[in-house]
Amino acid sequence: MPIRRKVGLKHLSFASAVLAAALAPHLACAALGEPESTAAEDSQQLKGSIKSMERTNYRVHEIQLPSGSVLREFAAVGGTVFAVAWSGPALPNLRQALGRYFDVYVTAAKANLAGHHHLQIQQNDLVMQSSGHMRAFTGRAYLPQSLPTGTSVEELR
Amino acid sequence: MQKIARLFALGCVFLSSLSSVSCGGGGGGSTIASSSGTGSVAAASNVVPVIVDAGPSGSSVNSLFTTITLCVPGSTTQCQTIDHIQVDTGSYGVRILASVLTLTLPTTMASDGNSLVECTQFVDGYSWGPISSADVEISGETAASVPIQVIGASTFPSVPAACSGIGPAEDTVAAFGANGILGIGVFEQDCGSGCASSSQYGFYYSCTATACSGIAAPLSSQVLNPVPLFATDNNGSIVDLPTVAASGAASVTGSLIFGIDTQTNNVSGTETVLNVQTGSTSSQQLPGNITIAVNGQTLVNSFIDSGSNGIFFNDSSLTACTDTNFSGFYCPASTQNFTATLTGVNNASTTATFSVGNAQTLTTNSPIFTAFPTLAGTYSTSTDSFDWGLPFYYGRRVATAIETHTTSVGTGPYMAF
Repeated sequence: MPIRRKVGLKHLSFASAVLAAALAPHLACAALGEPESTAAEDSQQLKGSIKSMERTNYRVHEIQLPSGSVLREFAAVGGTVFAVAWSGPALPNLRQALGRYFDVYVTAAKANLAGHHHLQIQQNDLVMQSSGHMRAFTGRAYLPQSLPTGTSVEELR
Repeated sequence: MQKIARLFALGCVFLSSLSSVSCGGGGGGSTIASSSGTGSVAAASNVVPVIVDAGPSGSSVNSLFTTITLCVPGSTTQCQTIDHIQVDTGSYGVRILASVLTLTLPTTMASDGNSLVECTQFVDGYSWGPISSADVEISGETAASVPIQVIGASTFPSVPAACSGIGPAEDTVAAFGANGILGIGVFEQDCGSGCASSSQYGFYYSCTATACSGIAAPLSSQVLNPVPLFATDNNGSIVDLPTVAASGAASVTGSLIFGIDTQTNNVSGTETVLNVQTGSTSSQQLPGNITIAVNGQTLVNSFIDSGSNGIFFNDSSLTACTDTNFSGFYCPASTQNFTATLTGVNNASTTATFSVGNAQTLTTNSPIFTAFPTLAGTYSTSTDSFDWGLPFYYGRRVATAIETHTTSVGTGPYMAF
């Protein structure tokens, strides 16, 4: 899982996964890249409670998960979810939170160079950082081309 | 080359690797009370050799392995010794890949009488498999009837959607990077009270042969850190590794010593005791974490973790590797030096230095090397974290004291060095 010296094949398949993700149809209940209204559906799917907070350029929908972890979905007002962030003792259901980007994450995770406690994806259309150890996970994923004007990635936590 | 290494490593699975991981000998029972690792602790009933090598996948870097023996509970004949078990101070409990296990172990029952099966979460995927009971023997220490996880067992092929939603499956030796994992961090259970009270936590499931549903798992049924279950030397452990040259090493051998202040070989000295967050507060700091300050950043969710293979922290002035084979690692033109301050929840504090080398140059210049003390990678700026992986352990004796257990210098959970 650590640095692999030959990962050419994995990166080849990674490229095709990005293509597949780009071609995938809209999913009905997914967060990242989907309309803001799907945040409530996520909360229901994940059996969590939700509260929403206004920020200058966007809204944050904070979902309290049964595990005690928190999932935050950042949405441009009336627009799409451009970032998700999580923190707590368990990971959120990332298929739900990442939506159409889940397959991109899965392919990258299979080629992960940094062990079980650290993952970084840096693509033009998706940035994801996930890390931590048992009982303590933090991470986020965002769409760098969809950040509302004036939004710093530092705020996405 | 890589293929040869992989075949060789797999061929070793069914052999005891003790002969290949000599503990260095010597020492003559002398007391080592400093926090400088030597890698040469005398053989003793509470000492097991550890090694950094390419592992069963043939491509591991900065991964620490040891050898353990599992037995059918109560049996002295139905036992199996398994090498290349990763030593992980960032997790809790024993997990073994079903593909290397030749024993038939009894499956632990959930409270409803079905089988108890776990979805173990890692940031790069999940490991699915039943909880089974085994006697765990490491060096001369034995823990009886320990709940362990058998990852990838064919008996429960249906993975719940909430589990596969974590990411890719890590149910094979190749995907997992080891034959199993020995989680000897600061906590006694892998989940704790949350999983004991909630069926919706996402870790534990009650399964029939065809269907699973979430279930609460009492603490005693959860995958348990074996150290506190030993009859003696059960308050923690010490990893002792020698200094490694900045350019790296082909392999590194050292010792895992059980107990703190229980024998002449695990006496505390002048090391700094950093208590870690217990998680009983609602603080922003998550369980197991300390604060590390570096470059003007104060990172409250930081941790020392033998299961991470690099030094992961954010420094925008460091050049990240551009070659996709080294994605997420740093590739500075010259080695950069840093000083960090580590602070526990007990407000004890100490400094430590580290260096960041060029990941691509280091690993391509020395293709057979598996230990790199200056291997470092990027970290999100949003998480307030510094993950100080195995490089921290090179040249140190790092003690891990388990929650609620006492030593002569403090009460766990703490890490000291």
